Amino acid sequence: MGYLFDPANWEWIFAGRNFMFLLERFLNNIILALVVMALSLILGLVIALMRISKNKITSTVTGIWIDVWRNLPVLLILLYFGLALPQEVKEFWVDIAPGFLPPQIKGSGQVVASIIALTIYNSAVIAEIFRAGIQSLERGQGEAAAALGLPYWKAMRIVILPQGLRRMVPATVGQLITLTKDTSLVSILAIQELVAAGAIVNSTSGSPFISGSDVPAPILQVYIVVGGMFVVFNLALSLLSRRLEVRERKRAGDVETITGLEDQIAIKPV
Amino acid sequence: MDRILPIITNNLDIYVSGLLVTLQLVGISFVVAMVVGTLVASFRIAPAKPLNWIGGFYVETFRNVPLLVLSIIFSAGLLRAGVSLGRMSAASAALGLYTAAYIAEAIRSGVSAVSKGQIEASLSLGFTYRQTMRQVILPQAFRTVIPPIGNLIIAMIKNSAIVAGSLIALTDILKVARVVNSRTFATNEAFFWAGVGYLLLTIPATIIVRRLETRFAIKR
Repeated sequence: MGYLFDPANWEWIFAGRNFMFLLERFLNNIILALVVMALSLILGLVIALMRISKNKITSTVTGIWIDVWRNLPVLLILLYFGLALPQEVKEFWVDIAPGFLPPQIKGSGQVVASIIALTIYNSAVIAEIFRAGIQSLERGQGEAAAALGLPYWKAMRIVILPQGLRRMVPATVGQLITLTKDTSLVSILAIQELVAAGAIVNSTSGSPFISGSDVPAPILQVYIVVGGMFVVFNLALSLLSRRLEVRERKRAGDVETITGLEDQIAIKPV
Repeated sequence: MDRILPIITNNLDIYVSGLLVTLQLVGISFVVAMVVGTLVASFRIAPAKPLNWIGGFYVETFRNVPLLVLSIIFSAGLLRAGVSLGRMSAASAALGLYTAAYIAEAIRSGVSAVSKGQIEASLSLGFTYRQTMRQVILPQAFRTVIPPIGNLIIAMIKNSAIVAGSLIALTDILKVARVVNSRTFATNEAFFWAGVGYLLLTIPATIIVRRLETRFAIKR
């Protein structure tokens, strides 16, 4: 305990740019999470619509696709794409990456591998959230729309999806929290983000460059600060998610909402 | 993919031992997670504000921190602080304490799903707080809690790759795939079989959890 709270072991935070450096690199995690989430929402909707399709073959094949990816460790998928993705694809990314991205994301070919890996995994989870959202609407809604003469796609577009989408907002924010935590794993592909930045601050060779001093930054304290940054960000997201859930309950009366628990989707009846 | 069969037949023994390491890690972590999770849940629902805060702090911290960061803290971090845990204990402490936060939330929501009227009814019948919990609330909460805990075991199987693969360097099934890959350069095949190994654990678990969900479903 003495070691943990010894002020000498915390001095590094105020030395030079140490803390700012960590914060800057955390931005890379957030950008990566948002890019992957945007792609996963689009792909997830397509997968969910295929999953609930009336065509038995389409829905079975899609169901297997979802279950396989959802039941594999993210780290395995990440490592696989990091190793197996052809070099040309990685170089292609470095050529076409938009200029506004931070240099560590723009310049690393492994980023495209991690975006692909995280998107495949997350779109499977998001697809299940979409499906739960659509199916949580009473069957009556679909039948009523059909009885009014609306064709399937039109009923989907103007009746089912708008209500289903609103119900899945809390679960999607919950998944964004899981995803933000998962972005820490891309450090294994040598992408510069917060966990890798922690290693630099901790190392005796990297730290003098950033802090401009040779105050040692012990690994335990560095990663407590790194963990703290994730906690603050994710806590803000989960407060947002809870508020949205309450608002949805108030707006639509006593409806079921869908919440997430570490990649698992639960339909919360009232 | 023409080496798909040789890769598994030549390396079957290390794949199986990797699978066993994964199972062992999940087993020990699950015990840690259940013990700590139940304790934290009882803190969160206890009729004393300071205990609620401690429980809440635990859940919000461990749920929002990446498991990778936690396992670095429990391996290299503690080692530097002079605490040597051993690889398996460090890994299962990280995975167990992380999952405990989710277990605590599952138990808490199971308890709060039992309607408040039942607590009031049994208190007015003269039961003490402990009797009410033991004889009225917990038996019902238990049924609602089983499916989420099953889901958390599946999540633990997947998350075990993170703790084993970080600084702790346990030879779990994912590590075996990396070793086979570096020996043979058969990336697709090496990772394919590791994936199969994980699916052998997670898919049956998913099916069992789905069964339990329908079986323990309470009509309200």
